[in-house]
Amino acid sequence: MDYIGKSVIRQEAWDKVSGKAKYTADDSSPGILHAKLVVSPYAHARIKSIKTEKASHVFGVRAVLAGERFPLTGEEIRDRPPLATERVRYHGEAVALVVADTPHLAKKAADLIEIEYEPLPVVNNPTEALKKDAPLVHEQLGTYQKEERVYPVPGTNIANQTKIRKGNMEKGWAESEVTVEEYFSFSPSDHAAMETRCSMCEIRSNGDVVITSSSQAPFMIKRLIHEYFEVDIGKVIVETPFVGGGYGGKASIQLELLAYLACKAAGGRKVKLLNSREEDILTSPVHIGLDARVRLGSTEEGEIKAAELLFLFDGGAYSDKAADLSKAAAADCTGPYDIDNVWCNSLCMYTNHPYAAPFRGFSHSELLFAIERTMDSLAEKLGMDRLLLRYKNAIKPGDTTPTQVPLNKSNVGNLPACIRRLKEIIDWDEGVAKDIGNNKIRAKGVSCIWKTSTIESDAGSGVILTFNPDGSINLMSGIIEIGTGTKTVLAQILAERMKMEISQIHVQMEVNTQSTPEHWKTVASRGTFLAGRAVLEAAEDVIRQLKNIASCVLRAKASDLTVAFGKVFLRDDPSIGIDVKDIAYGYTFPNGNAIGGQIIGRGHYNLRHLTHMNKETGAGKPGPEWSVGAQAVEVEFDKRDLTYRIIRAVSVVDIGTVLNEMAAKGQVMGAMSMGLSFGSRETFKFDEFGRVMNSQLRTYRPIRYSEHPDYVVDFVVTPQVDAAYGARGAGEHGILGMPAALGNALSIAAGVKLNELPLTPELIWRVKKKEGFSDAFI
Amino acid sequence: MLSFDFDYYQPKSIEEAVQLYHALDREEKHPLYYSGGTEIITLGRLDLVYTNAVIDIKAIPECEVLGTQEGYFVTGSGLTLTAIEENNGFPLLSKAASGVADHTARNKITVGGNICGQIFYREAVLPFLLTDSKIVAAGMNGVRTEHIMSLFNKTLRLKKGELLVQLQTEKRYLNVPYRCVKKRPQWDTGYPLVTIAAIKAEEGIRVAFSGVSPFPFRSREMEKALNENGRIKERILASLQHLPKPVLDDVEGSSEYRLFVLKNTLFDILRELEEDHR
Repeated sequence: MDYIGKSVIRQEAWDKVSGKAKYTADDSSPGILHAKLVVSPYAHARIKSIKTEKASHVFGVRAVLAGERFPLTGEEIRDRPPLATERVRYHGEAVALVVADTPHLAKKAADLIEIEYEPLPVVNNPTEALKKDAPLVHEQLGTYQKEERVYPVPGTNIANQTKIRKGNMEKGWAESEVTVEEYFSFSPSDHAAMETRCSMCEIRSNGDVVITSSSQAPFMIKRLIHEYFEVDIGKVIVETPFVGGGYGGKASIQLELLAYLACKAAGGRKVKLLNSREEDILTSPVHIGLDARVRLGSTEEGEIKAAELLFLFDGGAYSDKAADLSKAAAADCTGPYDIDNVWCNSLCMYTNHPYAAPFRGFSHSELLFAIERTMDSLAEKLGMDRLLLRYKNAIKPGDTTPTQVPLNKSNVGNLPACIRRLKEIIDWDEGVAKDIGNNKIRAKGVSCIWKTSTIESDAGSGVILTFNPDGSINLMSGIIEIGTGTKTVLAQILAERMKMEISQIHVQMEVNTQSTPEHWKTVASRGTFLAGRAVLEAAEDVIRQLKNIASCVLRAKASDLTVAFGKVFLRDDPSIGIDVKDIAYGYTFPNGNAIGGQIIGRGHYNLRHLTHMNKETGAGKPGPEWSVGAQAVEVEFDKRDLTYRIIRAVSVVDIGTVLNEMAAKGQVMGAMSMGLSFGSRETFKFDEFGRVMNSQLRTYRPIRYSEHPDYVVDFVVTPQVDAAYGARGAGEHGILGMPAALGNALSIAAGVKLNELPLTPELIWRVKKKEGFSDAFI
Repeated sequence: MLSFDFDYYQPKSIEEAVQLYHALDREEKHPLYYSGGTEIITLGRLDLVYTNAVIDIKAIPECEVLGTQEGYFVTGSGLTLTAIEENNGFPLLSKAASGVADHTARNKITVGGNICGQIFYREAVLPFLLTDSKIVAAGMNGVRTEHIMSLFNKTLRLKKGELLVQLQTEKRYLNVPYRCVKKRPQWDTGYPLVTIAAIKAEEGIRVAFSGVSPFPFRSREMEKALNENGRIKERILASLQHLPKPVLDDVEGSSEYRLFVLKNTLFDILRELEEDHR
């Protein structure tokens, strides 16, 4: 039984391709009520009045919520009312909610709610937000409850600040013979998951609050419903079926709170709140934006001596996870390079934009766009090969991270090997740009990547194993199946360890917080790492129990026994053994005596040795390991009309042991396509009033099937010693360097610095025009 | 989800359809002629379309005609864009139609719906504008046939309750050299920054545009400038004097950038058509 590395087909594959898989919104049990939101048409306004009488009188309306003050919510800072009361702070913010017998009636009634607003001046980007005279998004910032290690600055729009102070900047600059400085900017955008968010809530007569939600974090929902609304935590039960793509957007808790309030107002009857696509884009949290300044200093030989970084994240109207995103960016602020002297201020700014959720890569594709574009500027200024500069400074065992974590052969992958492999795959020695005639240029851009997962220092995962009478095993894990195939990988890990057929392992796909052991959140490429370790521990537990009972039956010491192929047998004589199925429920001797009982395996794994980052220096160990990689994008650019096609995109990633090759390639490739989509076309277009002008898929258009380049994915294998079979995280890494590599390729092709996203032909035209590109069209 | 209820009617003849429309209008049902229904669904859910009665024209034979009749190529208004693409009897129309939305949507979107709908690109009208096609419309006073250039000004100016039945294009236009180029903000999907359709007629080149303004148009002044003697570049610049102002400035692109794309695209089209001596 050799399952490690095998491309085992996903356990839920047939259900999904045949359309039978059930998602949250598929529940249409009779008697269910439907909620509809009324959202703000303004980005910043005072609510003068809300009139709900007409809506309340619509036949079939069960409840109308508006203007009532509910407890403030928010994961880091409690700054967000579930429904806006005195003020709205972003376009699309939920202001009122109607519960009715049908979606149709709910919408009809919602349309009858009259809200009078008085527009206020808007904060339309994070740089503006930092200005002294900027309007304040949260005047009461100083009064909010908050987590201990978040550092808002009352009287400003700063929701959080993280400082990195490593080495000695004066020394760093003194040793730098060449310096470069670049500015970067891009707006928030969307996750655009196929399934729009949906939450349902029912309050049973015994007081149980049962929530079903398309979420990456059901256990967090349970905790927050308890904390915000003072429901006994044991009374909150959260169920999550399949989730149709999350990308971080479903790690934020939002609709669940509204569904709970709606349900409570409707007397506890089951209420469904399903986002329309527009609400999913506007009202629910989005992908964060960033303004950044990067200064790098190096010797003439290309040894980087100093890095000074300012990140101004566009966290939007509420801090929620944005505060954490800005911290994660600080922790890995330099990119995967060994730099002794680092100064970084990473600020999470309040603006009047939709607020941010995690997004695949958790602020790393964003910070790497800034760093890796600057690396190219530095290489140009030094007159040095772009990959050689990266190779020379590549982070390695023995180096330290910006937060001063010493790296070793286990907690960091092999970046130099990734660069070497990339160099071969993309025929780097042929040159970065080639004129292919007919006004066309082919150019290659590169980017290195790294990421650790700055999750909670005690984040953990539990697994329970039970048996069926045929000896097959049920695997229960709190991981959400969001399309990554992680639950199949867990089955592979278990089959490998138990040396049994994978067809004999049944993975429970849905999660129920009452019966499924907790997995912190299905985020941060931590599923396989945390749950994988828990599976191994549970397998050990099962094996121990099987051996114990078999030792009585076989009259041999447990330590003489082995479990494999559905049997427990003597190590030195496999002919003496017993089937697992005959002892998994206890054993009955021929005379009727019974021993043992059903075997239940348990395992858990919590992160260890993580520490909080120091408030003044950032020093601390924010994550367990750093996955690294090197990526490239090749474009064909038209010098005359400034359009381009992406020809090829390449990733060489060190994800440690590859557990399921096709699944891993699928993850990396899928993430690459998201990165290219974000890099080339996805953005919110804000008008001067801070309104999102493209909140529909008509005008917000992710990359489509015919537009994809050729993808090449290759792996370098540096096993992580403490991970299940040495596997590192792989869910996010493909996205990380794509915007930067695309920006680098196009900057080379177009001959101008492209430091904004998305990289549309219009952007290239605008930048080239500033540099004197003639509008002459021939 | 549509928040309004509506009745469904499927008349078998033009007369029945028109009478139904007026009867329903008197009942304040806000009737709509429809065939594909894509706009009713997608704009209705945003409250940008409202109706209490839809009149399906798919069972009206005249609306489903596609082919040559007495010197004309006749395009029934109820035909889907996919049907037109596949038939390809009017290659320029096929090309213009194939750029609209995506294939799944084109299986439903009809010529009539694309021309008479709210979404302002209406690219299916460009070939008809270029070929001086005729509009067949039916109202309470019967069926009338009009030149498109006299009826189309930004939108098709039908009288209330009039039904667009067919478009008739002289056969001699079916095989003239043509170009139809759609330039989007990025790659192959999305609305146009500029769509330019052009033909080389006997007297010279004709051009029609979508995306440049919030309505499609054909400009005789621009055509005059483009058909003067002189270098292509100068003729283009002269023609731009006659563009309807202001040039569209929206989420798809700024007006200045649109002009850049327009000039490049027009240049390529003119050069190719002028070199085309078929």
